[in-house]
Amino acid sequence: MTYLLKTTDLTKVFNGIEVVSRVNMHIRKGEIYGFLGPNGAGKTTIMKMITNLVKPTSGEIEIFDSGLTSESYEVLKRMGTIIEYPIFYEKLTARENLQIHCEYMGYYNKQAIDQALNLVNLKNIDNKPVKEFSLGMKQRLGIARAITTKPELLILDEPINGLDPIGIRELRDLFQMLCKDYGITILISSHILGEIEQMADTIGVINNGKLIEEVAMDQVRDNNTEYIEVVVDNGSKAAFILQDKLQISNFKLIDANKIRIYDASMTQAEISKMLVIHDIAIEAISKKQSSLEEYFLKLINGGGIHA
Amino acid sequence: MLNLMRLEFQKHKLATLIKGSVIAYLVILAFITLITIEAKSRGEFAFKDYNELFIIINTIVRGTFIVYAATLIAKFVIEEFKNKTITVLFMYPISRKKIIMAKLTIITIFTFININLANLFLSGIIVMLSNVYDLIPGTLTALSIFDNSIKILMHSFAATGMSLIPLFFGMRKFSVPTTIISSLIIVLIVCSNNGDASLNNIIFIPITLGIIGVYIAYLAIRKIDKVDLI
Repeated sequence: MTYLLKTTDLTKVFNGIEVVSRVNMHIRKGEIYGFLGPNGAGKTTIMKMITNLVKPTSGEIEIFDSGLTSESYEVLKRMGTIIEYPIFYEKLTARENLQIHCEYMGYYNKQAIDQALNLVNLKNIDNKPVKEFSLGMKQRLGIARAITTKPELLILDEPINGLDPIGIRELRDLFQMLCKDYGITILISSHILGEIEQMADTIGVINNGKLIEEVAMDQVRDNNTEYIEVVVDNGSKAAFILQDKLQISNFKLIDANKIRIYDASMTQAEISKMLVIHDIAIEAISKKQSSLEEYFLKLINGGGIHA
Repeated sequence: MLNLMRLEFQKHKLATLIKGSVIAYLVILAFITLITIEAKSRGEFAFKDYNELFIIINTIVRGTFIVYAATLIAKFVIEEFKNKTITVLFMYPISRKKIIMAKLTIITIFTFININLANLFLSGIIVMLSNVYDLIPGTLTALSIFDNSIKILMHSFAATGMSLIPLFFGMRKFSVPTTIISSLIIVLIVCSNNGDASLNNIIFIPITLGIIGVYIAYLAIRKIDKVDLI
């Protein structure tokens, strides 16, 4: 498997504190890689190391098949980025900002700016300096700037902050389109799981500077199917009945009264009937979807927040 | 490099910079004419000879443009760091050294030209006025013009160098006020003129300060590749 970006034991120490420690992440070409973690987990620092703004204390970054050094400038041409907060020359208009951007990038396609502005749906912005923009508009402009030069790798740090629900959806569609139609690889970070899970192909979960898990979304979905939860008066007896009479083995006794049944072949009706026949009082029975949120919260909490 | 400088002007509007220096020229001109005319009205002379006139003009001009250079440093360098627009700049496929060098080159060239041009322009006008209204005693000899031109040129080199010193103080906390205040202190040191005595006359002092300024610029550029932008 070849990767577009690979880090090996990437570590960054600020003032004696390890903010990123021994991260090994792998981004495949053409995928959307979701970077998930709470605030202050180290997402931005890693992204800054990839874009050469921050230099690693130790470890390596391999990008586009070559190692990143503090003098690697050419690779930056192949990336489009928004890091942290979209920053512009506030006195200039959106178009002037993009023009300057293109010049610095050495990109001279006159139509690219209009295309990018159209893609992010920014309108009526002529003659308006960026300082009069709302946060949502700045985010859109930031994304426009990142995609103007048709990069191979798009690095987006919390790009949906400050957007309304419609805007979020528009941009999600845009990112998926960029990935599918243009073959752009996207590294996107967020602390909002719902956003990431809907578009990412691979998810990297980071907490306290450590990459806890790197997993393909398909795999996560397979591992987190729906289940039936029953609350009964006698959990162990019910468990016995499930196993003995219904031949279900794929269930879990959550506590003395609560059981989760993962076997998809059984319907709710069958289970409740069997339990009632055997004199077990059912307080509640319901079908649930173990949400990804739970899965990731588990990961993050298990990662050492509760020391 | 030229292209980078052109882009800097696109961001920071060359016209505003020039407007600023033109205003400075006019204010200094008004000031000098006023004191000469005021002295004349009392039947005295503001300057004892042309030599003194040139020294005073040169001193004021240098002081003004050292401070002006500090405002440019603030605008081109410090504010980029403070507003974090530098992170955008440093993500471009261009060497950080070149980016900073382009900025400092603009500032030094601008300051150097301004100091010399202002001296030429102001001295020229006052000399012309003096020819008509007899504002300054004594005669102006070719030798004195030559002598002073050399001096002004030498001092403008030193002043341009020392105008970079505020970069050091400003970069510590990315503070615009610190940048400007440090330039004012430099001006106080080298441009205070007490009769004939001025620290600037000890040629060793402006030259040393000039070299320090250049060294500071060198330091700012040397390690920029390794700096973390948090």
